[in-house]
Amino acid sequence: MKKRLIGALVSVPALLAAILSGDSSAASCPYGLVNCTGQCSRFIDISGDGICDLSQSTATSGTSDSSTSSTDQTRQDGTDVSNVGDNGTDNASATNDPGHGSDNGYHLGDGGEYYILPVSILLISGYLFTHYLFKKGILNRKKHRKIWNLLLAAGYLGTSGTGVLLILMINLGIRTALNPSLTFWHVELSILMVIGTLIHIHIYRKPFKNMFKVLFGFKSPVNKKKDKMVLRTSK
Amino acid sequence: MIYDVLIPTVPFIAGYLGTYTLYKGGIIKRNLHVNLWNFIIGAAFLISGIGGFILLILMAVGIKSPLNPQLLYWHVEAGLTLTLVTVFHFRDYWKSTKKLFFPKSRRVKT
Repeated sequence: MKKRLIGALVSVPALLAAILSGDSSAASCPYGLVNCTGQCSRFIDISGDGICDLSQSTATSGTSDSSTSSTDQTRQDGTDVSNVGDNGTDNASATNDPGHGSDNGYHLGDGGEYYILPVSILLISGYLFTHYLFKKGILNRKKHRKIWNLLLAAGYLGTSGTGVLLILMINLGIRTALNPSLTFWHVELSILMVIGTLIHIHIYRKPFKNMFKVLFGFKSPVNKKKDKMVLRTSK
Repeated sequence: MIYDVLIPTVPFIAGYLGTYTLYKGGIIKRNLHVNLWNFIIGAAFLISGIGGFILLILMAVGIKSPLNPQLLYWHVEAGLTLTLVTVFHFRDYWKSTKKLFFPKSRRVKT
């Protein structure tokens, strides 16, 4: 068991190296996409060719083939990109108002603008605190559960609401100045959702274990021992 | 890139209606119906929530791998399923949900 664990741990750096040695051509796209026609809410098209500028920052610097192939592509809303490129006014409307995208401190490819650690630490310490109060009898079980269920529900509603809006915007090709702030709140609320769900699983750990028992017939070692005891006493 | 909206939602609506009908018809127990959908919500959360969290950490650290676009795609698709199954989850635990959102004084007895 110990050897297996060490073996698995040793293979992690090799696996990471294999993953990272892949594509590094799209330096500015946070997802590493190349010639993206709009897969996320960070789509910016200043050049008006229908391809996200972030995903082609290094790709277009290559051969002339890449520039011709990019003009052949059509935008996801169905309009021909080459026509858009010829027209100055269309070109301006096709962009995502770059002034909003870069001036508000929203640097693409930089994930540092999200408060991942502070929010996570705040939530975990908050749970530890309420759990301590509950264990000491200051907070009753119902209230303890209610607080975390409410937070989780808020996280789910916020994340799913903003997420569905973002999908609609991406699918319909709507680019507004709201997109960065929507993405920001989607991420922040999803941290609440993820940490909240893990806490939810911890609070309802007994029904959670029971779920595997009901669906797959798994039994925890404690239950197995209990069953054996019951069998012995019945004999 | 246009994300599929119907594929991650319609089969799950049909599936829920199916197991709900079976439970109401007395063919399966409520326990099985609820636990099955709890498992599905867990799986959707694992792909969407944990996948999104990994994506966020990768972005924060500045790691760009060929896995990222795939992870983003499945994060979105599973997110749609998760949204829908969350509604089912609220429905399955409606009594607790009602207590959670509406204080006792505001609840109307039916």
